[in-house]
Amino acid sequence: MSMRFAKLSLLNELRQCCHSLPPRLVLKKRYLSPSANFASSLNHLQNPTRSLSTSWPKWKDVHQPKDEEKEKLDLDIWKSVMRSQVAEEETSRTSDDDTVQGEAREMSQDPPLEATREMVEMWRQAGKKVPEDITNEQLEIVADLTSKSAKKKYLKFLSIKEGYKKANKEKQEKKKMEWLAKKEEMSKEEGDDEEGSSKLKNTFILHYWQRSLDRLIGWQGAQAMRFGQPLVFDMSYEPQMTRREIENTINQLLETEGCNRRSVEPFHLHFCNLNPEGAYHKELLKRYSTEAWENLLITTSPQQHIDMFPREQLVYLTADSPNVLRTFDHNKVYIIGALVDRSNLPGVSLANAKRLKLTTARLPLDEHLHWECGTKNLSLDRIFRILMAVKETGSWMEALKFVPQRKHAGFYSAKKGSTDFKGAEGRDTIQANRELKNLFISKQRSKGRAEGKAPLQSPIINVLKSKGAARSDTQKARKNWWEE
Amino acid sequence: MGPMLIPNTRVCLQHFIPVLSRNILNGLHKYVPACFKLGGLSTFSTKDLNKHGVIKRKDFKSKDFVIKEKPAFPKSVFAAGTARRTAVLMKLKAGISDLEEPSDNSRKINYLEVPDRPLTASEWKRLKEDNERPDRFEIRMMGGIFKSSADINIAKSLLAYVAVDSGTVAYELLLRYLTLCVYGGHWAEMYDVYDIMKSRFRTLDTGAYSLLIKGFSKTERWEEALVLLENINKIITPSPRNYSDVIAGAVQHGNFATAWTQYNQLLEKDIIPNQDTWKYLFEAGIADHENDDKLLSILEHMRDNQIYPEVTLANIIRKWFECRPDQKWTGRISTVKPSGVCQSCRSLLESIQLTEEDYADLRDSVMKNVIEGKDVFKKTTPEELESFKHFVSKRPPFDVVIDGLNVAHSLGRVSQSQTLLAVVSELNQQGLSILVLGRKHMLFSTQSWNRHHMNQIQQKAHCFFTENISEDDPFLLYAALHSGNHCNFVSRDLMRDHKACLSSGRTRQLFFKWQRGHQLVLYNFVPGKKVRFRKIQSYDTIAQTSANTWHIPFDEEGTERSTYEVPQKWLCLTRLN
Repeated sequence: MSMRFAKLSLLNELRQCCHSLPPRLVLKKRYLSPSANFASSLNHLQNPTRSLSTSWPKWKDVHQPKDEEKEKLDLDIWKSVMRSQVAEEETSRTSDDDTVQGEAREMSQDPPLEATREMVEMWRQAGKKVPEDITNEQLEIVADLTSKSAKKKYLKFLSIKEGYKKANKEKQEKKKMEWLAKKEEMSKEEGDDEEGSSKLKNTFILHYWQRSLDRLIGWQGAQAMRFGQPLVFDMSYEPQMTRREIENTINQLLETEGCNRRSVEPFHLHFCNLNPEGAYHKELLKRYSTEAWENLLITTSPQQHIDMFPREQLVYLTADSPNVLRTFDHNKVYIIGALVDRSNLPGVSLANAKRLKLTTARLPLDEHLHWECGTKNLSLDRIFRILMAVKETGSWMEALKFVPQRKHAGFYSAKKGSTDFKGAEGRDTIQANRELKNLFISKQRSKGRAEGKAPLQSPIINVLKSKGAARSDTQKARKNWWEE
Repeated sequence: MGPMLIPNTRVCLQHFIPVLSRNILNGLHKYVPACFKLGGLSTFSTKDLNKHGVIKRKDFKSKDFVIKEKPAFPKSVFAAGTARRTAVLMKLKAGISDLEEPSDNSRKINYLEVPDRPLTASEWKRLKEDNERPDRFEIRMMGGIFKSSADINIAKSLLAYVAVDSGTVAYELLLRYLTLCVYGGHWAEMYDVYDIMKSRFRTLDTGAYSLLIKGFSKTERWEEALVLLENINKIITPSPRNYSDVIAGAVQHGNFATAWTQYNQLLEKDIIPNQDTWKYLFEAGIADHENDDKLLSILEHMRDNQIYPEVTLANIIRKWFECRPDQKWTGRISTVKPSGVCQSCRSLLESIQLTEEDYADLRDSVMKNVIEGKDVFKKTTPEELESFKHFVSKRPPFDVVIDGLNVAHSLGRVSQSQTLLAVVSELNQQGLSILVLGRKHMLFSTQSWNRHHMNQIQQKAHCFFTENISEDDPFLLYAALHSGNHCNFVSRDLMRDHKACLSSGRTRQLFFKWQRGHQLVLYNFVPGKKVRFRKIQSYDTIAQTSANTWHIPFDEEGTERSTYEVPQKWLCLTRLN
């Protein structure tokens, strides 16, 4: 430590000198005094470092009172500073001997990884976008990438991710602090009023426990598994995807599952073609804990969908299909390919459907949306939400509200006015309305049209439910954050 | 003169007046005979223009020169610069002026105003405090100094300020300073920075190594660049530029043996050498003729990989040939006649037709990689493919295969079946056996697919219609390749996606060669007029040699050549006995 102090004081001295240098004439006069100061300060500390010796030539230069020489003093000072630091580092390195040894041991364990780590570190110092902390797993991935640009891209991706994580953490921390402060204040106030009464609140609303909501959701899930309409995710695209794409897919599937679980009438989700040894399964287990995965109310199977359902019930949803899904059929089993293709892979899911000779269909996106501006792809959870909405309301207008707004320039019929509902959809809505009458829950959900009729469930449960859903939403988010 | 004039005028109207829609032009076309009688198209068209009134006379005039530039005969789509020219035309058509360059002001903002003399620490400090964004001030300033190529002493004074103020100089700032030294040629400074970096940091980053290699190879200490290259090699595969710098260093200091060992290392690592590398090696060859065989092998390499030298490299190659001690060569810049004869030496160039062996290779690999690929279902179904194979085998070999949908859509709004019928009739008149490929939806009589037209097409040609969700291009390739070497195909598609499916570089080149020799592209087709196609080259554009000649195609300066185009200029080298 004393070494460091000496260094700092030396620098302070240098800084003072430099700041006082400009007036030329003064410099000449003053030359001796700062130098004397300098020496005395060092004497005082009685701890000379090597930096002292390296910086001497500079002081010698100042003897010549010429203009250029003064300039030179200014210009090359950084070199001596840097060189003195090398010396300092060497001494400090010897002092921290055990850590160095530890590092050395690590290095001997896995030299190629260490070389990559060093490269990453140097890139960070050179100002490239590189994460500050990097795990061994990530380093292995970096080392496996063949080209320099691939490495750079991956590291940039990691650094951006790290940035988000950090910002999120800061936000959470801030919130927590605020909350704590608020709580403290509250307790103080209450403490002032009366002691111990804070536990029981006097309210006419029955307390709705989280546990009850979980149970309700569980029952709904169980019911869906028994009677609900199946929705199949075809997990057979693993070989076509990169590691990152698989991670994205799993992300979206998690989102989908959560959304399904909290909906009023969930689908019975099937993950077909799920190879128990595959990357999908591994990633799913990683994201859910093993226990949560075991208790999840969905069906997973290594079997193909055509072995699980009658062929004529199956409809493969693929964007390349020539057929348009005009009405949502509650008796069909829709299949969604669990595929994220960052590099476009046109026709992959269609090829699969053709091979199995399944009926195919695509969502009626072009029929309802002005799609000129954005890319025409949707994430799995968006597709799920669209299907869920169309199942509940029977209206594509309602359902396609789940298409991200940045991607399209509005609905076709929205231009003409809401009364003119016919056009591409007229027939569908009538049919959908007819279907609505058979489905009381759907009726309840489609607010606009079914409002006049008396809902069968009491509204308060609905309120609670939505409240609960919101709460579990936030909880989910929190959970996600912890998981990350 | 009159009839000659009219189509030309029409062509230029269509191409150079952005506002005139096709409808008007087509309408115009119908009335051509009538208005000719009335005394000339020009009055008619100007009237028409005035009616629309949107066109500015100025614009029209300024585009006039483009018309004159157009060659008398249609050039091949594969000629260098065609794509660029088409893009410009399309832009003109769409009414976008070529001058509109994307403004890159965003980058300029990042750089700061650079002081004109070295500043003292206090002055720097004040400057930094005055700046609205003091974070990374030093690094941005260093970038600014580099950009404006200001005096190096300014940079030094900045470093001095940083060192004194913060006690150290960050690696990133040092790296920027190193860039400045290397590009400014301040070698002594570079040595110092290198020493400091080496002692201060255990390793350097790849960017610093590259810079140092570049710098060292230009100085007396060029041999150290080799060490640095080894260091990069430990971390990642060095770039072709690193090798080119090292080789340049070796050549400039007269050590040709080292240059060649480095070149061999580069080849061993499967790195594609850049043209600068070859430039240095040929320059070495001019000084020392020991490695002539190796230099000839570079030319062979160009031939094998279908690489075309740039004009500077071509000049050096010419110089090298001309100063070979044992043989007397002369070089000239030349062009090649459509017949395949070199304008300069009158010798015939290699034909574009594939040899039997190559043709068979290409046919098999197209079948395997393009049509079947990893998944037959992606482009077709096995049943469909089987039925098509059967269809082809039952018919006599075709002379020409037409990509029906592509041809039909090559003219915007005109009835698609009509366009297709015109092309089919033209080829039928020439007595060719034709195959038209299409999709099944063409058979449902619609507005654009007139049943009457379709019946006529089916009478004049063999037709095969694939499923609506299958791709038709692979079938086109199959049919064309199975009909034999004489079979051409008509499509505007450049087939780049299919070329990319091929596994090896060699088959890709074979495919490209075959494509250049067999693809017919419609040229400025107007309904009712004779169908014309763009020229097919009869010779192969590739570096080639015979007993006493070398012909090397090279890229001219100023023409932007797309990857699927071939150069038009040749370096013709002949040996005098």
